Amino acid sequence: MTELLAALGSLFTTPIVPAAFGGVTWGILGGALPGISPSITMALLLPFTYGMAPTTAVVLLASTYVGAEYGGSIPAILIGTPGTNAAAATVVDGYMMKQQGKGGEALGISLYSGFVGGLFGMLVLVGLTERLSSVALAFTPSSYFALGVLGLSVIATLSGESLVTGFIAGVLGLMISTIGTDPVTGLNRFTFGSPDLLSGIPPLLVMVGVYAMSELFMKTGEPDWEKATLEDARIKFPSPAIWRRIALPQAIGSVVGAFEGMMPGAGGAVSSFLAYNEARRWSRHKEEFGHGSPEGIAAPEAANNTVACTALVPMLSLGIPSSNSSAVLLGGFLMHGLIPGPLLFVNHPDVVHGLYTGLFVANVAMLIIGYLIMSPCMWLVGRPKPYLMAFIYALVVSGVYAIQTSLFHVGLAIAFGVLGSAMKYFRLPVLPMVLGVVLGFVVESNYRRALVLSDGDYRTFIQDPIAAGLLITAFLFIIGSVVRHLREA
Amino acid sequence: MKPAAVTKDKAQRELALGSATLAIAAVYYLLAIRIPQSDIADVIGAQGLPKTYASLLAGLSIILIVRAAMARRRAAAPDATPAIPKPRLQRGVAWRVFGMLMNGVIYILVVPWLGYILSIAALIAATVYYQGGELNRRAAGVAIGGAVVLWLLFVRLLHIAHPAGIWPSLL
Repeated sequence: MTELLAALGSLFTTPIVPAAFGGVTWGILGGALPGISPSITMALLLPFTYGMAPTTAVVLLASTYVGAEYGGSIPAILIGTPGTNAAAATVVDGYMMKQQGKGGEALGISLYSGFVGGLFGMLVLVGLTERLSSVALAFTPSSYFALGVLGLSVIATLSGESLVTGFIAGVLGLMISTIGTDPVTGLNRFTFGSPDLLSGIPPLLVMVGVYAMSELFMKTGEPDWEKATLEDARIKFPSPAIWRRIALPQAIGSVVGAFEGMMPGAGGAVSSFLAYNEARRWSRHKEEFGHGSPEGIAAPEAANNTVACTALVPMLSLGIPSSNSSAVLLGGFLMHGLIPGPLLFVNHPDVVHGLYTGLFVANVAMLIIGYLIMSPCMWLVGRPKPYLMAFIYALVVSGVYAIQTSLFHVGLAIAFGVLGSAMKYFRLPVLPMVLGVVLGFVVESNYRRALVLSDGDYRTFIQDPIAAGLLITAFLFIIGSVVRHLREA
Repeated sequence: MKPAAVTKDKAQRELALGSATLAIAAVYYLLAIRIPQSDIADVIGAQGLPKTYASLLAGLSIILIVRAAMARRRAAAPDATPAIPKPRLQRGVAWRVFGMLMNGVIYILVVPWLGYILSIAALIAATVYYQGGELNRRAAGVAIGGAVVLWLLFVRLLHIAHPAGIWPSLL
């Protein structure tokens, strides 16, 4: 109750409402562009949040995530091309409904199911996050080191088809995190005499480079996407009969999304397909799935919007991002000097409560903006791809420069764009590298501090019960992934 | 593509990746051991974790190389599958990707003296071209319009001082 009152209070003290509406608008527009994922949409916005108050910035980014998850379903339904990976499951029945002349109804089902899923995700987020982080005050440098290792162990799950390439990407990220001033001795490492590198490489630049810039490079040469007409894009309220029919798939999608959102590496795409499958299994109209079933839209859309909230549970409470989008949000926190994890709730409760409120407003805003934005959204999707890509490139370059008015940073973002493109070519997963960059400093500084405090005694990591528990969990996590990969091989 | 050809293609890719990361590990290690030692250093020291990371990367790279070499041998051994053309990046597309990269590099080089508006307009126009669009009046309009919108957003609204260059003298 106290949290709810505090969250309500923040509604009137910070510009949360405009931030939530702005973020949702940007998110829907970005998500609606095929190939521009929620994480890229958020990464494009990151530089603009630099001068904002921390609460406003994190609300803007989190609302973008919420909006992008819905935005991805618009082209999925109207042109059969998912705007985001998570909307891929929506294509199956959404596009079929559009071909049957029920595109408006499909968009309405998507919007309302996203709203229902988002609200459920919010409840899970508020209910679980603070409890998970309540052990905050007992954390020592050993525990923080172990927490960082647990975060890095997520790499094992995020590695996709090859565990080795996932770990390689993770180690590359850790290497990047060592550039700059040494956290204990203050010595310069890998700076090559450049003052621009003394403070290290900001995770923000890595994210903008490997997500947004590399996507611009890799999209070069791809054909333009199909265009839809405005007549297709009038949202219709689902009828009471449809409402009754989609209630169960929405509940299934919400529950699946809640669990999958908190699982490292699962994300919106996995949860959408799982929810689709489960909704089909429990449906009385199984035969309609794949032929324009409203349930086939409701379940995945409820799931991916639930994920947009529940993916923040491990990120906020433990500082461990479980998806690309929550990694970008983590970058936004770090940029404002906020360290997600146990102490966030002690040191910055205002930001956390503001974020809760912002997410609630964002879900309501999604309903309103979802209706209003359809025409501009379709206009934007209808623009030729070369013009859109050119404007996005200019926006990224200008935004990165704006952070510290540094052309060196623009160069770094481009360099990371090249690295991201090379990683995609070699099928090296990007998220493990981002995790390495983000968690590298936490791991190294706390590892060494813990050893300084214990006079170099390594037993400190076993004697501290929290550290020992977290390290054992990380170890089991890695072993589990290795066994799974060996079985699949 | 037949499974053997897929395996061979993947193996070649992994071999190239493993060799590249092994080289990165070697260079990084050499740079790590050149980090000076401090009198106030802890037991690990400034070199400690970088050296560990380099060793880890080298170990993982070797595993990847060995695995790729074994997979390549397995793919080549049992049957003489006729060579299937690999889906390569088309030369035209590769040039366009390179052009996209150079757009950014040239922007960094020219913006200090050309100024933000002119440079960003040129960046937009060049990107339209490399993304497969035509350089016509419409593209010029988009470039100029886009530059003005971004200038209004960053310089006028957000008060971020982008390089002015020769632009003010042209007005």
